[in-house]
Amino acid sequence: MHIMEGFLPLYWALFWWIVALPCLVFGVYKLRKVLEADREALPLLGVTGGFIFILSSLKLPSVTGSCSHPTGTGLSAVCFGPWITSVICAIVLLFQSLFLAHGGLSVLGANIVSMGIVGPLVGWGVYRLLRDTGVNMYITVFLAVALADFFTYVMTSLELALAYPAEVGGYVSSFILFLGIFAITQVPLAIVEGIVLTLVFKYIVALKPDILLRLKVFSEEKINAARGGA
Amino acid sequence: MAFRYRLEILAITAVLVFSALFLYTSSIMTEAEFAGSDTLGSTQIAEMTGKAEEEYVPLIWQWVPPSGEIESALFALQAAIGGLMVGWVFGYWKGQKKKSA
Repeated sequence: MHIMEGFLPLYWALFWWIVALPCLVFGVYKLRKVLEADREALPLLGVTGGFIFILSSLKLPSVTGSCSHPTGTGLSAVCFGPWITSVICAIVLLFQSLFLAHGGLSVLGANIVSMGIVGPLVGWGVYRLLRDTGVNMYITVFLAVALADFFTYVMTSLELALAYPAEVGGYVSSFILFLGIFAITQVPLAIVEGIVLTLVFKYIVALKPDILLRLKVFSEEKINAARGGA
Repeated sequence: MAFRYRLEILAITAVLVFSALFLYTSSIMTEAEFAGSDTLGSTQIAEMTGKAEEEYVPLIWQWVPPSGEIESALFALQAAIGGLMVGWVFGYWKGQKKKSA
């Protein structure tokens, strides 16, 4: 989902930076608040952040004959919300732009918006919609993770379409074109990522249910029900 | 909730299906290069604007790993950092649980 350095015109690069910065500032503020309230949230942040590091480094082949990488952001979005997630993503993306030439400093804003903000925001939104319904907890986590992954790539496509409308068909046909490159490739990856991170969530529930309760990630009934079975 | 390891089985199956899918597509799509979608995106931009890819110079200077080997080493480093964090915390929680039990 990285937009490569130099591939966004200066005004678009600046625009996405301006969108990203307030979210990051708010994320840092939220992060400090969460950690001040409960130091035991830090290990959970380590796990969810750790998976962003791992999964976003794995470039996997897909059915389209090209490769792409999962994002790993959904788990963090479920546990901590999109704003804190955006801060961790910013760290990962900074690492990749400095040492791997994946993305770059001028396009970092745009990449933070897609992977760190829009993707997690969609995942978190899905989770919030389903959290207090009768939907199974693991299905909720799966959907949140898979959609956070998928919509990261939808957003990248949108960012590129806005900067490069097609000569024929304008923004829409350009958006479809980029979706063909980014989003379709991502479908199988998003599904696998969803299942794998749901499994990780199961282990968090098994090992440290109290932190999930204190952060009000899921209700006590749901967590107890999951601990009883599954 | 009859079976304890449902999710594990599901995850292993998903990974196996994913791998099988890759083996299948890579055998029928002989011309597929399995390039990164980032690169394909850039190629698409170059095609749309009629400006060669090389003409898109970084707006901010950027260090580029001199070879694919070095790049993959740094990617492995990134994954290792993540793996360390995850493993450390799971161990920490496990220890905590044991102590309180």
